[in-house]
Amino acid sequence: MNKLRRTVFYDRHIALGAKMVEFAGCEMPLSYSTGIVAEHLATRKTAGLFDISHMGRMHVRGQGAVGFLQHVLSNNAQALEAGKAQYTFVPNWNGGAVDDAYLYCFVEGRYLLVVNADTRQKDWKHLQSFLPDFANVDLEDCTEELAMLALQGPMSRELLLRLIQSGRLPEPLRNESSIVRMCDAEVMVGRTGYTGEPICFELFIGREHALRLWNDLVKGGATPCGLGARDTLRLEANLPLYGHELGQDPEGKEIPLFAIPMAKFAVSFSPLKGDYVGRTALAKQQEAFERIVYGDYSLIASLPRMIQPIAMVGRGVARAGDKVFKDGRHVGYVTSGTTVPMWVFEGTGLASQPTDQHKLRAIGLALIDSDIEQDEKLTIEIRGKRVEAVVVRYHLRSEAPPYARPIVYGYELAQEAIPAEKRPAKALRLLQTTLGNSIWRQQECINLIPSEMTPSPMARLLSVMDPAFRYAEHKKMEAFYDADVFYYQGTDFIEEVERLLENEFAKFLDCEEIELRPISGQMANMTLFSAMVDYINFADRKREQRRIACVLNHHISKGGHLSAQPMGALRDYVARDPMTEKPAAINFPVRDDNRYRIDLPATMELIDEYRPELVIFGKSMFLHKEPVAEVRRFLHEQKIRAWVLYDAAHVFGLLGPHFQYPFREGADFVTGSTHKTFFGTQRGIIGNCFLEHEKRYELWRAVRRRAFPGSVSNHHLGTLVGLLMAAYEMNHFKDEYQRKVITNAKAFARALKDCGLQVAGDPTVEFTETHQVVIHVGYARGPEIARILEANNIICNYQATPDDEGFTAAGALRLGVAEMTRFGMAEKEFRHLAELIHEVISKGIDVREQVKKLRKPFCELQFCFRGDEYADIVHKLHRLL
Amino acid sequence: MKQISELNLPDDIRYSEDHEWARREGDAVRVGISDYAQDQLGDITFVGLPNVGDSFNQKEEFGTVESTKAVSELFMPVGGEVLAVNEALVESPGLVNEDPYGAGWILLVKSHNPDEMNSLMTKDDYVKRLKGTE
Repeated sequence: MNKLRRTVFYDRHIALGAKMVEFAGCEMPLSYSTGIVAEHLATRKTAGLFDISHMGRMHVRGQGAVGFLQHVLSNNAQALEAGKAQYTFVPNWNGGAVDDAYLYCFVEGRYLLVVNADTRQKDWKHLQSFLPDFANVDLEDCTEELAMLALQGPMSRELLLRLIQSGRLPEPLRNESSIVRMCDAEVMVGRTGYTGEPICFELFIGREHALRLWNDLVKGGATPCGLGARDTLRLEANLPLYGHELGQDPEGKEIPLFAIPMAKFAVSFSPLKGDYVGRTALAKQQEAFERIVYGDYSLIASLPRMIQPIAMVGRGVARAGDKVFKDGRHVGYVTSGTTVPMWVFEGTGLASQPTDQHKLRAIGLALIDSDIEQDEKLTIEIRGKRVEAVVVRYHLRSEAPPYARPIVYGYELAQEAIPAEKRPAKALRLLQTTLGNSIWRQQECINLIPSEMTPSPMARLLSVMDPAFRYAEHKKMEAFYDADVFYYQGTDFIEEVERLLENEFAKFLDCEEIELRPISGQMANMTLFSAMVDYINFADRKREQRRIACVLNHHISKGGHLSAQPMGALRDYVARDPMTEKPAAINFPVRDDNRYRIDLPATMELIDEYRPELVIFGKSMFLHKEPVAEVRRFLHEQKIRAWVLYDAAHVFGLLGPHFQYPFREGADFVTGSTHKTFFGTQRGIIGNCFLEHEKRYELWRAVRRRAFPGSVSNHHLGTLVGLLMAAYEMNHFKDEYQRKVITNAKAFARALKDCGLQVAGDPTVEFTETHQVVIHVGYARGPEIARILEANNIICNYQATPDDEGFTAAGALRLGVAEMTRFGMAEKEFRHLAELIHEVISKGIDVREQVKKLRKPFCELQFCFRGDEYADIVHKLHRLL
Repeated sequence: MKQISELNLPDDIRYSEDHEWARREGDAVRVGISDYAQDQLGDITFVGLPNVGDSFNQKEEFGTVESTKAVSELFMPVGGEVLAVNEALVESPGLVNEDPYGAGWILLVKSHNPDEMNSLMTKDDYVKRLKGTE
């Protein structure tokens, strides 16, 4: 018998009292003295540390590496940039699995492939067998020289941050990677894992340094976890294990790769891959999969059974190999099953937190007929007894970091009862609650939501007067020299309002053309993107209309707004990058010394490499001016024809000499919403600087068409009337208002800093150049603190910092001074407010009454027209309602 | 895992080859698994119990005790009819780990044949057997 392998951590395992088992020829800890349940739970609440050095690791290098990987792996290795990792299969010719694997690229052109321990030798032989077909491929086993640890769970980021000597953790997204220095050694870090934890890391470190890293992580509070917990954690996360969900089923038949839900992401049919191992069989499976997804089982023979999560309903624990029945018919097998522990969470939604209580639940994965749907009841034959189970969607969700949250079959949120009153009583109650809410928000709260503004009383009144709720579609027709043609009668008044409003906005933005009809900022962007797609296909109306080839924007985690993201308004207008098979959006790099500022030299390199067709400035976490002029100059020098859009949604009311003039700096378009820093009712707007004789003016014509009939039929006429009043107010008062907003924001930021709070942004410009102030309040504490501030009548929003994994783990608050500045608050009041916020956050003091007192003298809106000359007509309008 | 010297093995009960214990309580016999068994199994996450009224012979399988990793069958140390099962184990199977001779009991049995008790090991025999398997 061969001598069992031991990892470099063997002595540590023994010293920690591990129950050692043989696994894949390796002596590994099954669990430590506290047991599997405690280890599983520790990973879910704090951090679990796993020795996974038993897994196989190999370097793939050389000029032929990509070609080789494209041939032997199922995913698109060419799409893998340096600093990223991807899940992949090692397919066989039948479209089954030799193994599943993770491919890392820490340094460009050099790959690290991690495979299962059990299949390591088989994989090695399999991969070797293809080497003769590829020149210049250096395949080298590094399993022994490179130790591998997994650190998983909510606390794991904190633990690593404490140990980092230099370098930066990977960007806060799954599959990102980086190289850092810890324990005086180079450590390759991937945000990957096999537990379902949203905060997850896998670490590669030279064998000689590995023990010190292990010791430091354990000293820092990580709980050592064995293979037992690794298995229950992966099962709860629906992650496949070779030999169970991959490989052969209990009847000895090959499991097709598309039986695994993750195949959708791990199998690529990119032309860049050519004809790789298993491609033909996989394409057939994919065709069947695509039909099955939509409930068409005509090709089910190519994919007869798929892996689905099951939860036990009756008493019993399904185990791998147990037969599954539906209505008495044998429909498949359990591939993995056991009892797993979970924390009991208390509270609902964002406020839900794990308690100290835990429960056990019996769950599994089953390979069952592909026409079985979620919620269908099954019976499992467990040791001769039939026990009821059900097909579920998930056992666990990872989308709300810092915790992975258990999803329990049958759990339903408690619903608040609908009052049983009669409708007339309900009507009265609606009036009462609206009154209460309005008094609270308008007279007792300090509102610091940066995207909100109270319009003036006159703007509000006008927005509900006639022609509110009516129609006035119109379009310019070249047959009439671009005169607007209206489809209905009775529209003269709104036609005049729109004409005057266009004129006010053209003056405000210092541009030629204005499109007013979008009713929100997001719709303004969608209208513009749609027009761009229309315009780039102008020369050929017969082909499939192509999308915008490449967009440079702010990543959402760096403050980018949804209205410029592929996950938001950009989705249907941006092309897929044929290389990455993802939306062709690239993101502004940010500076290391200030993650709220664009890194210009790196941006220019990126522009040079990708040559974007559209550059979008502007974001929703917005502290500093955008380098519009510098980027425009660079585009010009490099002769790159790109549109420059400045999405001014947040800073629309600040545009001008105190902040930025986007058009003067080189923007082609400005979009915005009219109700954040601007004074208006809630709408969107597009401005443009093209001239009618220019060829590119055709794009502006497309914008008009995509506004109507493309985006709106009814463009909410009432709020246009209110907006005209707001535009008069803004153009009249803007010099003083804009100056005060920015002065107040700087004073507020300075005061918060002086109170000891951690204020983001560049201190040399007093942290902010806009209306916004961002304070860091501690990792994942943002939602809770925002809630506490609300209880103290201070309304703001929690905000993920550029280093946070998502909004549920937000570690910051975003504060805006625009609305309260408009109510007359000045630097002195903002300094007072900073102290109150500090008292709430740092000392837990109740300041509700002090906030009310601070607000009281500032309930009358400023920067608007007032006086006797308006009073009489305002009164008449009120009486008309 | 515990050394044999660290095991809690009361001397007022009898032990089976399969690591169950049996304690005479009047006419009835209470059944559970030994400290050695629970320690070997690790965290117990499920106990498969028979129904009250079921009858089993000595050494016949009557249920399972499961950890996250493994299933182990339970065998009757003495034959008889099930008078009661420990319902608390449904919600808290970990009681078997925490208190194998007390709150972690599994069955109460009406014995068919009182002589069967005598076929079981005493504490000393059981310790000798455990040492033999070391």
